[in-house]
Amino acid sequence: MFTLVAQFLLQGSKVLAVTLAGDAVKAKNGSMVAYDGQMAFKKMSGGGEGLRGMVTRRLTGEQMTVMEVKGQGTCYFADRASDISLVRLNGETLHVESSNLLCAEGTLRTGTAFTGLRGASQGNGLFTTTVEGSGQAALMSDGPAVILRVTPGTPLQVDPGAYVAHTGSLRQDFQSGVSFRTMFGEGSGESFQIRFEGDGLVYVQPSERNTLGGEI
Amino acid sequence: MPFREVSAKMVEAQVAPGQRLFSQRGAMIAYKGEVSFTPNMQSGQGGVMSMIGRRVAGEAAPLMTVEVPLGPGGPGDTPPGQVWFGHGGHHIQVIELSGDTLYVEADRLLAFDGTLEQGTMFMGSQGGVMGMVRGQVTGQGLFTTTLKGTGGVAVMAHGGVIQLPVTGGRPVHVDPQAYVAHHGDVRNKLSTALGWRDMVGRGSGEAFQLELSGEGTVYVQASEEKL
Repeated sequence: MFTLVAQFLLQGSKVLAVTLAGDAVKAKNGSMVAYDGQMAFKKMSGGGEGLRGMVTRRLTGEQMTVMEVKGQGTCYFADRASDISLVRLNGETLHVESSNLLCAEGTLRTGTAFTGLRGASQGNGLFTTTVEGSGQAALMSDGPAVILRVTPGTPLQVDPGAYVAHTGSLRQDFQSGVSFRTMFGEGSGESFQIRFEGDGLVYVQPSERNTLGGEI
Repeated sequence: MPFREVSAKMVEAQVAPGQRLFSQRGAMIAYKGEVSFTPNMQSGQGGVMSMIGRRVAGEAAPLMTVEVPLGPGGPGDTPPGQVWFGHGGHHIQVIELSGDTLYVEADRLLAFDGTLEQGTMFMGSQGGVMGMVRGQVTGQGLFTTTLKGTGGVAVMAHGGVIQLPVTGGRPVHVDPQAYVAHHGDVRNKLSTALGWRDMVGRGSGEAFQLELSGEGTVYVQASEEKL
């Protein structure tokens, strides 16, 4: 046995197979579709571990229900035919909407981070989920996610409803393009954007969640 | 206007300063550069007649203008912008027009080159009475949008899209629900495979087909679902 860490493998674009050898992964509650071998499922809750995590969960509405899956064998995860992307973290932090996180290696720490107004406009609360450490995580998206690179000097604007996740050292701020005219019902449909500046990667999906901003 | 398919469900457009394109409102996913988005009051050009046509037909998907303003120093002053489009997780097909006319339902248009001339076409005039029926059957109205000129068009479909060539001797039959768009010198009419037996409830489920004949290309989606 050379591998003691969970092996993440995509089966097609919509099913994730995780091979475990006695170790554990965290996954979205209810996302297991099949397994072979011996698996134990334990419900946890999102927002990070410990007291701070509990407090942030209360405050933030970032109620991600997570389960811990531990065992020997292969466990298959999928959720509503969402497309899945794998992300390998090497000590950096992944910021992800809690609804877009499917699975993360047990060794990765999860927590919450303040996003400001942006979260509120998305109806996702003011906080977003963070995953840090070294290991693999699996993201879900409505349609295949596309990774866009942000470099210093070329900021990227993203539709809040299409935003999935980001890594790297990025500053994000919320931009409103609402003008006088937009207020009177002739909006372009692109009233709010998240602006990313710095150096990093942004994952976007080819579809928009319903957001408060999207209605304006 | 170069459209590039980034994935089956997302396209990237390069917008040079001074150039513009139209897109369905709210279909922008992300952008870089000095790109501005403005609502397009009357769904582009095409004159009064096509406006009336659109009103009557319900063929009025709300559009927005996407452009990179020309800097004061001319074209070299502003770098080109990049815009990514996608909508509702639908599949996207890029169609390149070179002087011909594309026929497509307005709600299937994701984005298109601003230099293309927009109009509406009364489908009832093609194929007589059955042409009139076509709109009712497909649930897509009696009018369809036309785009004419040279440039790219990004069209949405449910499921993937196949391109079927239409050639002189061989008409192509398409399920009206799976029809997406066509271009070229193509006539379309609604044909029925309805016999006496179908009338009393033993239909194959494929009672109506669109028959396309002439020279051109028809785009068909891998689904019978509307967008």
